[in-house]
Amino acid sequence: MPLIRKSATPAAASPPDAAKVPDAANVLEALASGTEEERWEAARAAPGIPGAAKALADAAKRETSPGVREAMFTALTRIASPESVEQLVPLLRSDDAWLRTAALDSLRAMKSLVGPYVPNLLHDANSDVRLLACELAREQPGKESAALLCELLETEQEPNVCASAVEVLAEIGGPEALPVLARCEERFRGVSFLEFAIRITADRIRASSSPKPRA
Amino acid sequence: MSFSDAKRYYVERRIAERMVATAALSFASYFARLRMDLDGEVEHFVNAFTVNETYFYREDHQLRCLTTNLLAERVAAKGPSAAIRIWSVPCSTGEEPYSIAIWLLENWPLVDRHEIEIVASDIDTAVLEKAREGLFGKRALMRLPTEIVAKYFTPEGPDAWRILADLRDSVRFTQVNIVKPEETRPNGRFDVVFCRNVLIYFDDASRRIAAENLYENLEPGGFICLGHTESMSRISPLFEVRRFADAIVYRRPPGERHG
Amino acid sequence: MAEAGKRVLVVDDAALVRLYYRGALESHGYEVEEALNGLEALEKISGAAFDLLVVDVNMPQMDGLTFVAKLRDLPLPVAATPVLITSTESGPQDFAAARAAGANFYITKPVTPEQLVALAAMLCGIAP
Repeated sequence: MPLIRKSATPAAASPPDAAKVPDAANVLEALASGTEEERWEAARAAPGIPGAAKALADAAKRETSPGVREAMFTALTRIASPESVEQLVPLLRSDDAWLRTAALDSLRAMKSLVGPYVPNLLHDANSDVRLLACELAREQPGKESAALLCELLETEQEPNVCASAVEVLAEIGGPEALPVLARCEERFRGVSFLEFAIRITADRIRASSSPKPRA
Repeated sequence: MSFSDAKRYYVERRIAERMVATAALSFASYFARLRMDLDGEVEHFVNAFTVNETYFYREDHQLRCLTTNLLAERVAAKGPSAAIRIWSVPCSTGEEPYSIAIWLLENWPLVDRHEIEIVASDIDTAVLEKAREGLFGKRALMRLPTEIVAKYFTPEGPDAWRILADLRDSVRFTQVNIVKPEETRPNGRFDVVFCRNVLIYFDDASRRIAAENLYENLEPGGFICLGHTESMSRISPLFEVRRFADAIVYRRPPGERHG
Repeated sequence: MAEAGKRVLVVDDAALVRLYYRGALESHGYEVEEALNGLEALEKISGAAFDLLVVDVNMPQMDGLTFVAKLRDLPLPVAATPVLITSTESGPQDFAAARAAGANFYITKPVTPEQLVALAAMLCGIAP
């Protein structure tokens, strides 16, 4: 039988080599100035090393290899500390779509740490940040997020930010959102997508909060 | 199907999963989809309830893809007498890795020309032990043609068949938690990885970390097969998608200089 | 009508946006499919031909500009599929980035159904 017997030499085919994993001193240096291979290894080894969050964020901004960049953002998610959140939040303001996406994806994967930042992000001066913050609000447990989004909707001037908030309320909003949605629709009368989104969201909230028929 | 109240939560969770997977905005719209069997939703719905079941030749369209397309590409990339390494993770009680072995023997014309190493891994040592024993019941064998059962298994009881020692010896079983790189790395690089129906149970962070670990265990140009309801598009941008007649699989891009 | 048989892929992570575009396009005879992000869009286009891709920018896993750049690197004829970028941004640098990625047209959200349908016709080569 041609299938290898398991007593044969174990896993010799170029395993990721343990000897290549850099130690703490080398990780930060490798992130900043190593070869692509070294940067990958360093990103994978970074969690647990002091100063790694900043080094990862700095390196990720410049990184040209999409795979290595992904590993750097994964490392920030694995670190899962207030420090990594602090490094990621400013990237939401980036002009580069891929940086914003990567930062948001990492933050989304750190639900429990991101919670305290959400209220401020929903009040950020930058409308893009407020828009992306609605996404972060989606994943937060409890009723505070829905309340924060309703608060946003009462005063938000940017239709796209409102649209983002309405989209999330379709999923997490309760009956308290209905009058807020109605007022928002009034303010943005004539903005066809918002009228549509608000109508669907309000219908959905009404449907999910009406008494259910007995089985 | 009928369910006790105690199972209601389980049912609601499965329905919620399908609603998310189909981006249904309401139960009414999901139910309409189910009634119309849109995009084969009935099958997805049933699979959502039976995803824990494992049996031989499960999702065999991926095995077909393996011998029709994937191995040919790997052989072309590595040369006519290269060793081929395949990983089944998680392997549970062994149905998947043994299925791969049998399928190769039955369906790959080049099976005699290459050394093939099959590694099978799971986080649970109890199932690994059962997998090493290689004893299976009727339910596990239900999709195997009788001649295959006769050829590769020895009956040992009214509902027990043991897979031949040669096949048990052809698979290396290791304990691995796929979220931990220190546990995935020692298994080496593979040409094809089967990682079916486990990532769906992980949260977003763990899913992403596991995908990155598995990426490292792939040769550049190597393939990874997920469960047929799963997609890398919700998990990680590290992989390229490749669509074949029998399956959609993902590939570690060839020729990069990292990992 | 000329739109019958024209296939549009709507790529946006917001379900309500996809629903809105679907409504507008289907009522004018287009066939519509959906993808939630750039990665899923790559999967969809590997399996079927489209006459137009309507692509948002901010999406998880792979943003719209990265997706369009990858699209343009694929073999023909897929690589030449017309792309309409829809974006919340409206600055000249955003327009330039979309152009650099290879988009055919760019429109700022929120989009009206009339705008979407008119642009779809133009990009699918349907005469007025």
